[in-house]
Amino acid sequence: MAVAVADRRPLATGLSRSRWMKDRVFSAFLLLCAALALVPLVVIAMFVVVRGVSALNINFFTKLPPGPLDPPHTGGIANAIVGTGMIIGLAVVLSVPLGIATAIYLSEYGRGRIATVVRFTANTLLATPSIIAGLVVAATVVTWTHSFSAYAASLAISILMWPVVTRATEEVLRLVPQELREGALALGLPRWKVVVKIVIPTAGSGILTGVMLAVSRGLGETAAILLTALGNSYMNTSYGRPTASITLDIYSWARQPQPVLQELAWGAALTLMTTVLVLSIAARVVSIRRQRRLA
Amino acid sequence: MKTRKLAAVAGMVSLAVFAAACSSDSSTSTDGGGSTTNNGVPLTGAGSTFAAPIYTQWGKDFNAVESGAQVNYQAIGSGGGVDAITKQTADFGASDAPLQADALAALPAETVQIPTVLGGIAIAYNLPGLTAPLNLDGATAADIFLGKITTWDDPAIAALNSGVSLPSTTIRPVHRSDDSGSTFVFTSYLASQSPSFKKTVGADSTVQWPSGAAGKDGSDGVAGYLVQTEGAVGYISYDYAVANNLGSAAVMASDGSFIAPSVDSISAAGADLAFPIGPETNVLNSKAAGAYPITTTTYVIVYVAQADQAKGQTLVDFLHWGLTKGQETAASLNYAPLPSDIATQALAALATLTYNGQPMTPSAGA
Amino acid sequence: MVGITLTTGILLVGVLALVLAVLAKGGAPTFSRFGLGFLTSSHWDPPHQQFGALPFVFGTLLTSFVALVLSVPVAVGLAILLNEPISAKITGPLATFIDVLAAIPSVVFGLVGLFVIAPWMERNIEPLLHSIFGWIPVVGKLFPALSRSASGHVVGAGGDYFVAGVVLSIMILPIVTAISREVVATVPRDLREAAKALGATRYETIRMAVLPYSAQGIAGAAFLGLGRALGETIAVSMVIGGGASLGASLYAPGQSIASAIASQFNGATNQLQRSSLLALGVILVALSFGLAALSKMFVSRGARRMESAIEAG
Repeated sequence: MAVAVADRRPLATGLSRSRWMKDRVFSAFLLLCAALALVPLVVIAMFVVVRGVSALNINFFTKLPPGPLDPPHTGGIANAIVGTGMIIGLAVVLSVPLGIATAIYLSEYGRGRIATVVRFTANTLLATPSIIAGLVVAATVVTWTHSFSAYAASLAISILMWPVVTRATEEVLRLVPQELREGALALGLPRWKVVVKIVIPTAGSGILTGVMLAVSRGLGETAAILLTALGNSYMNTSYGRPTASITLDIYSWARQPQPVLQELAWGAALTLMTTVLVLSIAARVVSIRRQRRLA
Repeated sequence: MKTRKLAAVAGMVSLAVFAAACSSDSSTSTDGGGSTTNNGVPLTGAGSTFAAPIYTQWGKDFNAVESGAQVNYQAIGSGGGVDAITKQTADFGASDAPLQADALAALPAETVQIPTVLGGIAIAYNLPGLTAPLNLDGATAADIFLGKITTWDDPAIAALNSGVSLPSTTIRPVHRSDDSGSTFVFTSYLASQSPSFKKTVGADSTVQWPSGAAGKDGSDGVAGYLVQTEGAVGYISYDYAVANNLGSAAVMASDGSFIAPSVDSISAAGADLAFPIGPETNVLNSKAAGAYPITTTTYVIVYVAQADQAKGQTLVDFLHWGLTKGQETAASLNYAPLPSDIATQALAALATLTYNGQPMTPSAGA
Repeated sequence: MVGITLTTGILLVGVLALVLAVLAKGGAPTFSRFGLGFLTSSHWDPPHQQFGALPFVFGTLLTSFVALVLSVPVAVGLAILLNEPISAKITGPLATFIDVLAAIPSVVFGLVGLFVIAPWMERNIEPLLHSIFGWIPVVGKLFPALSRSASGHVVGAGGDYFVAGVVLSIMILPIVTAISREVVATVPRDLREAAKALGATRYETIRMAVLPYSAQGIAGAAFLGLGRALGETIAVSMVIGGGASLGASLYAPGQSIASAIASQFNGATNQLQRSSLLALGVILVALSFGLAALSKMFVSRGARRMESAIEAG
């Protein structure tokens, strides 16, 4: 049990004034830190909501971006929503299975030098700046195919999402008790069945949390998409062509002086932030429920 | 657990499909003159931010004429446009500066530069107190951008603006930080007016501006800075200055009079354009009466030999439409239409486009 | 199963190798042409084939340094706070808020930074800091006087190194806090309780028992935060001001490596410019990966040191 810290009244406990003062200042500093951590979030949330809400109407979600001569509140981000969905959708299809498979390798099979190298690679790729992923895909895929495209953007984002999925999944797999594996093996199940039928289902919702966090990260991506998908003012459903994305639209419209476009940017930011926050909170809820179930 | 993941992916996909089904084109199409015999295919254009508003509007209006033609124009700067057409990542490039020798050498095949509209580079500033346009000449403007003149009430500026009460605000110059045709045109102008500018900074699409000046990407980035910063001065296309209620300087012409940019003064300068388009082609310092000194044409760069028939046909139709019916939209966006003889020569340049060796003609109705 | 998963692992290594290869091959012409001069020259002039990365490297390092100076103390304070025996009703939500901060997309930080934080800072904080620090001989040059309009208002400038540093500090706060928190959590109870049994105040306990043992781990957290700050592109592009040359003070507009790549790559017209931007990528990657490795080393070294201290003590 923790021993109680010195009583508030300095002289009552024989504590010198200066020691007591230092302690009080320190406590104040800690509270200040807490306040400083909260202020930015509150400010950001406030401004995004206040400035973004006026942009939201049915047109916002169903129409294409306005042209220079269009009246306000007639345009929207329909193509960006579809574009983002396409890009992240393909990125998920690519990076989630690969990420989980790599995690399975590291947790269940990996021994020795190869595993060390793979793990080192995963940690290193985790630290990759997103602009680098975009730069590399732009210098290769975009250049070779002579085209900016949605799938190039998906490739770049997959590079970023893969290690996130792997790291989160590996951690969860490691938490599965060794006894479960050994018990199943003792009963004669082949190794792969143990993994597929026992380990993964036990880790189940933990893996889902990891995927949700990776998707959340992917949704917030701009730099990687900037160099690969270029953007599109029309609705595009083809992976081989330039595509719009919500983050890219915010980035370009924020620099435009026209109030109509700036308002659209805030509206898009509100939409994006809400989606990402809902995902993050959902991931947290899944994870907490899982902790409770396991406890 | 696995089914939950599947459900999440399925949910995202269906949302995307739903949004696609619900969306509709929000173009306010001006009368494009009915439709053509060609349905059209999507095209990608990239380049000049200077010309972005006109190409974006043309794209929307043309979509009503050829419903399959979605002209996706991405404003990434003139340099980006040249790069995109060189690498063939776009179907047409857009640049305010004519192709220079090294860019011409890098192109894999023959191209043609087709002027589309005339625009003016405004020396735009944010000085709320002024009612009439500020008078400036080339030498003074050069000194401002060289950082030699630092406050708005400097004697050099006051000498050109007798009777105007100038504030003592610090001048905050802003320039383009990306590869820009507007920079090319503006620095060419300043270099022609100020030997020290020519020596220190020179004329090109990216130059090393003096330190302390802010740099922004795109005309929109510069306009944004100008709108937010009192005392700021920068060079942007005239339509951006108007759209954002910024002041545009009246620039001294060769006859000593001060000409402010306007559709008329920009138009007057256009008569100077000489074909064929070469690296030195420009309409700066026009001697025509009432001509705005810092006028430029903006070009579309396309390959003479088109590789894809559907795209080539759509491209020809789009540019033909732009050079004829699209000229009417120019004035409403504060660009100037090409003078008719220039437009004729531009159409002649367009007529050189071929597919499989056969010249391509615009579809009926374009 | 082994086969499949091993293959994906090797594929991952392949991806990293590809990233490094593309950057190295692309940047090679620049490095062979300019050598180390690429890093020391500030002359970036694409049409004349002159490329010097110094302004961008400077911008990256300066903004990241500011971000570290501002966020590390707060992160450490939070790490300590979250490990104190306070009710979970406070630490729970506080920790959640910090995680939520981590989830906010970079472009939203940029948007709020550009329209809210930058003007507010340029009008209020920067003049204030000038009046506090401006008179000090050398350091004061970092906080110069700001121009005022005729009406006396400070003129906003659309971003500078300092604003970028502040926005970055908010962005890296969650990660530095998260790791620091884990590090502080591993300080054994016995050490704390021994200190308290001897009559130490909370401050003294932290100072004498907790911090010395967490120091290396916290340094590791700081390195990781620094690595993230270096690579941040979009938010920084939107608030750093876009100046072409090396800025003279914290209040000057500038560029960072990442923002330069983002604004120039799509428009790079000649091969050498493209190569120089890839070379910038090489520098960035070297810094990021190096810092990530350093961070891991420090965090695990700190943990090992604590273990041996516990065994010894």
